Amino acid sequence: MISFLIRRLLASIVLLFVISAITFLLLSAPHTDVGRVLLGQAAEQSLVDAKNAELGLNQPVLVQYLTWLGNALRGDLGSSWFTSENVLSAIGNRIPVTLSLMVGVTLITAVVSFALGIWAGVRRGAADRFVQIIGVVGYALPGFLVTLIMVLVFAVQLRWFPAIGYVDFFTSPAGWLSTVTLPILALSVGSIAGVSQQVRASVIEVMRKDYVRTLRSRGLSPRRIIFRHVLRNASAPALTVLGMQFVGMLGGAVIVEQIFGLPGIGSMTVSYTTRGDIPIIMGLVMFTVIGVVVINLLVDVVVSWLNPKARLA
Amino acid sequence: MKLGKWSGFAALTLATGVLLSGCAGAAQSPAASDTLNIATLSIPQSLDPTAATGSNVPFFQAVYDTLIRRQANGDFTPMLATKWEYNADNTQLTLTLRDDVKFHDGTPFNAEAVKANMDRFRTSTGGDSKGLKNISEITVVDPTHVTITLSAPDPSLLFRLSDSAGLMANPAAFANPDALKTTPDGTGPYQLDKSKTVIGTKWVYDRDPKYWGDKLPYQTLTLSVFDNENAIVNGLKTGQIDTALLQSADQRAAAKQDAQLKIQDSNVDVQSIILFDRAGAMVPALGDARVRQALNYAIDRDTMLKQIRQGLGTTTSQMFGTDTLGYDKSLDNYYTHDPKKAKELLAEAGYANGFDLTLPRMAAIVDDALAASLKADFAAVGVKLTWQDVDQATALKQIFTDKGFPGLVLSLGQPANDWLMISSQLLPGSFNIFGYTDPEATELVNKIQHESVADSKADAQALNKHIVEQGWFVPFYRQTYALVTDGSVNVTQQSGMAVPSIYNYTPAK
Repeated sequence: MISFLIRRLLASIVLLFVISAITFLLLSAPHTDVGRVLLGQAAEQSLVDAKNAELGLNQPVLVQYLTWLGNALRGDLGSSWFTSENVLSAIGNRIPVTLSLMVGVTLITAVVSFALGIWAGVRRGAADRFVQIIGVVGYALPGFLVTLIMVLVFAVQLRWFPAIGYVDFFTSPAGWLSTVTLPILALSVGSIAGVSQQVRASVIEVMRKDYVRTLRSRGLSPRRIIFRHVLRNASAPALTVLGMQFVGMLGGAVIVEQIFGLPGIGSMTVSYTTRGDIPIIMGLVMFTVIGVVVINLLVDVVVSWLNPKARLA
Repeated sequence: MKLGKWSGFAALTLATGVLLSGCAGAAQSPAASDTLNIATLSIPQSLDPTAATGSNVPFFQAVYDTLIRRQANGDFTPMLATKWEYNADNTQLTLTLRDDVKFHDGTPFNAEAVKANMDRFRTSTGGDSKGLKNISEITVVDPTHVTITLSAPDPSLLFRLSDSAGLMANPAAFANPDALKTTPDGTGPYQLDKSKTVIGTKWVYDRDPKYWGDKLPYQTLTLSVFDNENAIVNGLKTGQIDTALLQSADQRAAAKQDAQLKIQDSNVDVQSIILFDRAGAMVPALGDARVRQALNYAIDRDTMLKQIRQGLGTTTSQMFGTDTLGYDKSLDNYYTHDPKKAKELLAEAGYANGFDLTLPRMAAIVDDALAASLKADFAAVGVKLTWQDVDQATALKQIFTDKGFPGLVLSLGQPANDWLMISSQLLPGSFNIFGYTDPEATELVNKIQHESVADSKADAQALNKHIVEQGWFVPFYRQTYALVTDGSVNVTQQSGMAVPSIYNYTPAK
């Protein structure tokens, strides 16, 4: 296990380096005139050139990248070209918003999906068909539509929740809960649809295994068979899907954050990428890569703990 | 499945919702409060005054005073300067300053501070810095008097001193310019609450109890930036946002459905084709005024306005805004939809079979309907219009830096000040990137620059008429935007500005 973790760590460092170089190159390729974007269409060319020089954009791309890399290795990711905010604090301010959504959605998805999946897999029949319908409907409904409907009904019409904005947990836990509930529910619909189907399929497969029949013949209670044996074996694929969804949730968060006006990483990624704010985008990419590596590592560790056959070596 | 189990779950959800709405005050109904929440789509590059431009100015007004206050109707009144006076040939402006104003750290505001601020502003790389390019020297006469010497008269100088160039920061803060970007230091009515501000998203300002001037009615001012108007409308409906300017006709319609929201029409932007290549360097046909006139006669402005903007706007043939001296109402209808006349003009110019015209298309500005409408109208007179899609990231470089296109469809703000309009849209540079002019325009511009603003109306109108007749632009319509409030705030529109000044808001009775 230790050697596995060390190998993963080394691979992650190489991955970070390679991705940072590729991203920087790609961002520099479109020849965005950052100075002009900053100063507006009407800015005189001399002013645009001066602004570009001020940002170091008159240097060759390699020099720009090496400067960024040198600073990054010292923990200085620079400041946004468009808002002057420090990259680390800009991302740090927005992480709690997106993390609230991601953790909330993952918890709800895990609980509801496992409940539905086990129910369908064990009961079969009408319960199974019901869960499958939920899966199809959840997949078929576009995420943005679900979100818009939720805002209109629960925020604008019923006024149960705020339509926009975010309240920090430490400022007001109740305020935080009220601002993240609808976004979490909106994002959970699609996730539950996917994970519950995975749990259902895994449970059905495991229930057909010989050892389950043996356990039944030995007189173990159905509850004990399901929670001690079936679930343990059926969880691995579902956890992998859940882990992938956690990472992929950034995509869904973009839409939800924009509709709810949440100052999170998703909406930040879109708005700063469109402007070509390289310091912020590089920071976001590094943050995302580290996040993906950590999540994948956690999933591997948990799966190996659940299933001895998948032990890490 | 038994209904009983699910009804329990539903009841729990309902209870949670009701509980949350109660304990968190999730969505209060609008009522006059001591906090003003303004939503906007524009974002300030920093809070250093050198970064202030256009619609970002309210972010700065909260913490910095300007030398001159510009009232909602465009009149100039005292602020940090109590008096101003030009010399006979308008090349020297002497300002008399208040002697009782201090920055937040106790540093006195005086003529030295004005000189330090203006010298820094005009030599910076800020977007508005070139607006002070005619200033040759700023001289401190005594602590309450400063003289601005110009290399040539600048009829927009007072406007600029009431805008970004007039924002006064504490010179002591210039030693650490990076800090000034996020920690503003001025004499303004508010101070930035850094603990509640999330730069890039929400700026929160608290009233400065020691402010030297009249207190504004709100204890707290919040400016929030959104990247879509849908969220803003939802915020207005739930009372989380007090006021915002909506540009989209669809969102205006959404706001209109809520009887509680109050909507004022705001006509600031004019949409047009800016014909850069008036000398015909890239597209020879555009060098002939008759061809440019033909393009103006070819388009069906009424149908465009009806189909594309749901009728929200006023068709026009002129670029001068309604608040300028040069505005002439009769020029709004100078060009009517007349394809026959357009064809005749093209034939006279030697283009009876039309010509090819390629324009860049930024999807955010030229939607499918507008693209199709212009293409069809031009095709009807023989002009083959090709749209070249340009992505937002590289568009400005291709269009303005590389000068890769003969023209551009754009929504341009209509300044309230004539010289501001002339210098940004007509003089070589800025939006006249090919640097075209003609003798008559040059003569009129020269006269307007050297005469007093009060005497310039006739020449400004003559200049306006000349550029309309010469077809420098192909204007479509002034777009009507919606200045919306949630009913708890009264707001007065600011002449020539899309987003009103922070002084223009009062609680509704």
